[in-house]
Amino acid sequence: MIIYYFIIAIALIGSLFFTRSKILHHILLMLFNALQWGLTVYAYLHLNREELSYFIPDGAAMIMLLVLAVLSSASSYHSAGYLEYHHRHHTTPHRAKSIYYAAFCLLIVAQTGAFLSSHIGVTWVFVELTTFAATVLIYHERTEYAIEAAWKYLFVCSVALAFSFIGILLLSIAAQEAATINLTYSSLIHNAVAFNPFWLKLAFLFVLIGYSAKMGLFPMHTVCVDAHTVAPPPISAFISTTLMNVGFMAIFRFYSVIAPTSIATWANYILLVAGILSVFVAVVYLIRVRHFKRMFAYSSLENMGIVAIGLGTGGIGYYAAFLHLIFHSFTKAGMFYQIQQVYRIFNNYLIRRTGGYFHYYNSGAIIMLLLFVCITAMPPSGLFVSEFMILKAMAEKGYFMLLILLLVLLTFSVWALGKNFFRLIFSPPYGNVPEEKIKPAESLSQWALLGMVFYLGIYPPVELVNLIHAAIITLPH
Amino acid sequence: MIHVFLITFTITLIYIGIANRMSTFIKILALQGILLFGLSFSELHDISTLNLVFILLETILFKTIVIPLFINYLIKRNKITREVEPYLPNFASLVIVTLIILASSLLSMTIDNSPVYTIYFVVALSSLFTGLYIIITRRKIITQLMGFLVVENGVFILSLAVGSKMPMLVNTGILLDFFVSVLVTGIFVNKIGDVFKEPDVNHLSQLRDL
Amino acid sequence: MDITGILLIIATTLFFPGIIIRIKSILSGRKGPGIFQPLKDIWRLFRKGAVYSETSSLIFQIAPAIYFSSVLAAISFIPFGDSPGLISFKWDFVCFAYVLALGKFFMIISSLDTGSSFEGMGASREALYSMLVEPAFFILMGSFALLTGYESFFEIFRSLHFGSYVSYAVGVLAAFVIVIIAMTENSRMPVDDPKTHLELTMVHEVMILDNSGFDLGLILYAANLKFAMYGALIANFFLTPGKEWFYSIPIFIGVQILFAMTVGIIESFMARFRMNHNPQFIFAVTSISLLIFLGVLFVTGKFIAA
Repeated sequence: MIIYYFIIAIALIGSLFFTRSKILHHILLMLFNALQWGLTVYAYLHLNREELSYFIPDGAAMIMLLVLAVLSSASSYHSAGYLEYHHRHHTTPHRAKSIYYAAFCLLIVAQTGAFLSSHIGVTWVFVELTTFAATVLIYHERTEYAIEAAWKYLFVCSVALAFSFIGILLLSIAAQEAATINLTYSSLIHNAVAFNPFWLKLAFLFVLIGYSAKMGLFPMHTVCVDAHTVAPPPISAFISTTLMNVGFMAIFRFYSVIAPTSIATWANYILLVAGILSVFVAVVYLIRVRHFKRMFAYSSLENMGIVAIGLGTGGIGYYAAFLHLIFHSFTKAGMFYQIQQVYRIFNNYLIRRTGGYFHYYNSGAIIMLLLFVCITAMPPSGLFVSEFMILKAMAEKGYFMLLILLLVLLTFSVWALGKNFFRLIFSPPYGNVPEEKIKPAESLSQWALLGMVFYLGIYPPVELVNLIHAAIITLPH
Repeated sequence: MIHVFLITFTITLIYIGIANRMSTFIKILALQGILLFGLSFSELHDISTLNLVFILLETILFKTIVIPLFINYLIKRNKITREVEPYLPNFASLVIVTLIILASSLLSMTIDNSPVYTIYFVVALSSLFTGLYIIITRRKIITQLMGFLVVENGVFILSLAVGSKMPMLVNTGILLDFFVSVLVTGIFVNKIGDVFKEPDVNHLSQLRDL
Repeated sequence: MDITGILLIIATTLFFPGIIIRIKSILSGRKGPGIFQPLKDIWRLFRKGAVYSETSSLIFQIAPAIYFSSVLAAISFIPFGDSPGLISFKWDFVCFAYVLALGKFFMIISSLDTGSSFEGMGASREALYSMLVEPAFFILMGSFALLTGYESFFEIFRSLHFGSYVSYAVGVLAAFVIVIIAMTENSRMPVDDPKTHLELTMVHEVMILDNSGFDLGLILYAANLKFAMYGALIANFFLTPGKEWFYSIPIFIGVQILFAMTVGIIESFMARFRMNHNPQFIFAVTSISLLIFLGVLFVTGKFIAA
């Protein structure tokens, strides 16, 4: 099935690239989404069955695939709207639309490959592929800013991925010494206990630094932030959610390899340090940020830091980390979809040039308010559940100093986010009446995403819980 | 013979640290491609024809011919000046590159029991960090790309140490990715050159938190 | 104890500078002076008296003699193939380096003694370059000591086997390093142009502006000796022990001629570096000798496991 998926997907990408007609674009995009959902359902029905010798839809991959399928549908819808709006106002070449759609689908395919792959090298190949697709998309608006952001994203990601490739090579040195030739995850997890800890430590450092560019974690987070500033909002939604999930998965897979070995404690400390530094950096920038999309980017950095802390803490933290990723993906994607509609009203992403959103677009303002509740992890939302679990795990492990530090930082972040959100929503109206009215129907997807965040947080379906448990089954408890 | 190639490769790293002209830089990169070919040729004993063609393609065609010509073309097309224009004086670069090599050797001393890989490890790590150093301290965008190539050569050396344990398919994917990344980056240099008069990193600092 | 080496080195000085000048003139399309012309110039200087400035002291007068004798003393350390030099003991290469340094020190203080600002500038440059080149020499000799397990010039060269590829690589690198050291220590082309007459860019030549007559002759001849001495060091790489004299002497002469030709060719085709590029060039030699050291560590397996 996966081979058909790839073949059909490439065919669709090719035809998207070569068509110029809008209707054909939409039909092809719909076909692609149907294909994506088809693969997701198929993978769910055939869990843990190896295909093409490098792809296994296991629990972790399945969760990410589901999130990806939901968000790719939503992003497809918003992409159409975005392109419509953008081309009405700018003189971007018409060809750009075809390139956008083709790269968009390529990005989704690459992410799917990265999630499903069961071989450490194949994962790397697909992660690198996401870089190219994302670069093309970031470049879409073809301004000087876009060039700068695309260049930085491409270049820093390439260098970072060279780092993670070195990490993989170091791991294979360790594997070779222990006479393990097979570099699939299952074989690595099985044999890792016999590996030389020196190589493993070094490999983990390199892999973590490298993939942190994708996950948006501390050492290499800057690329993601710059990319968000100029990327089209539906793409920002991807970079901030599923693409970060890709980075997380790459790190998580490596982490599960070393989790049974003697260096697991050391790796946990590294994750905790990376996580708390991410949160710290994010909060520092959140306080002084002036641009909505950058603010969301820093909020993503903060949440990824929390996820890393969850992973590093262990215990219930593993479970919570996955839960947090799911909820964060839905919330953050909703924020980026909504901010595009904010842009259509105020024609600006700068925080001080907005205000009185209620005045212009009622439904949007309520969505923003709910999104604020979610992203700051206030009680009824799913993020509250997951964050609370992570904090609980930290308390159980006795990391009290870290816990207090994290809580203080989170308080600051709530304040900073609240300041900016409330300015957008409640302050006196800013500027002229917009030329176009936004139909509430265009915000349906945000409502759906919000609904999922609340619903899944309160009543997580047993299937989802099982998937998460399957994902973390190899980790020590 | 392997040691000869590795030592020569390390010398090219030192030379890169003090290279003044872009053309020198490109020549060193081409030379590194040849060295890598010799290295892989003498390292992989039981080499199959397919693998040989693959490595020949990667080192001789790709690293020694295509990429240097491509960079030359980029320099000509964008009218990039001939000097490398580092932020730091060359003497400092030389000292730092030497320190990088020493530090990598010291790090490799801490490995317990794998003498086989030590020298590969030292050279690969030195190459990696020298490349990073060049990326950080050179003003031009094209030199950043060249620094990335140095990093990549380091990755190649390390992958030789591992041998051909990666499956062929994965290997091809990795090569393709690196190739595309260099190509795409180069095309971007062109785009940047079209928009800004001189492709200089200083132009690319508009995105920041005010 | 064998004085063949010293005699050969002294014999080399007769034609060494001539060959350099000859090569340079041929390559630049001139006929050029005869091979022995530089020697004749020195002989002319020897027959003249020296003029001393009133402001200079005794140091200025004795320095050339000390410089010359230091070089002579250093030469007596150099072995020749199978036989050790006149003086040979453990760690003699350290002594060798510092005997040379002593001569250089006296030249520097004598040029400071004249009170000329130009000479002070030259002395400062000379001191800087010597300082930068010194670690290269010691690291190189230390690597060889490590490689062979012996500590004196003679024993190191006697037991230096060229077996594996890596030892060839190390040998070639070492020869390269010694050539550069020789060029730097003698203030030759890429670092300093002996033919330049602009005081601002001169290094060694500006130091001896005030020396004249016999003293100048001594200094010039000492420079020739130094060149021949480094040539002899290089030649020792190729003099494998156990060879008869009718092999080793032609090899020795051949290497010296080759060395002189190399110097001539380098000087013909290279421009002098800009003054501020010199330190990096000389430091590169140190980097390369460090590489040799690391290479030797790997070859001998003496890599210290922590």
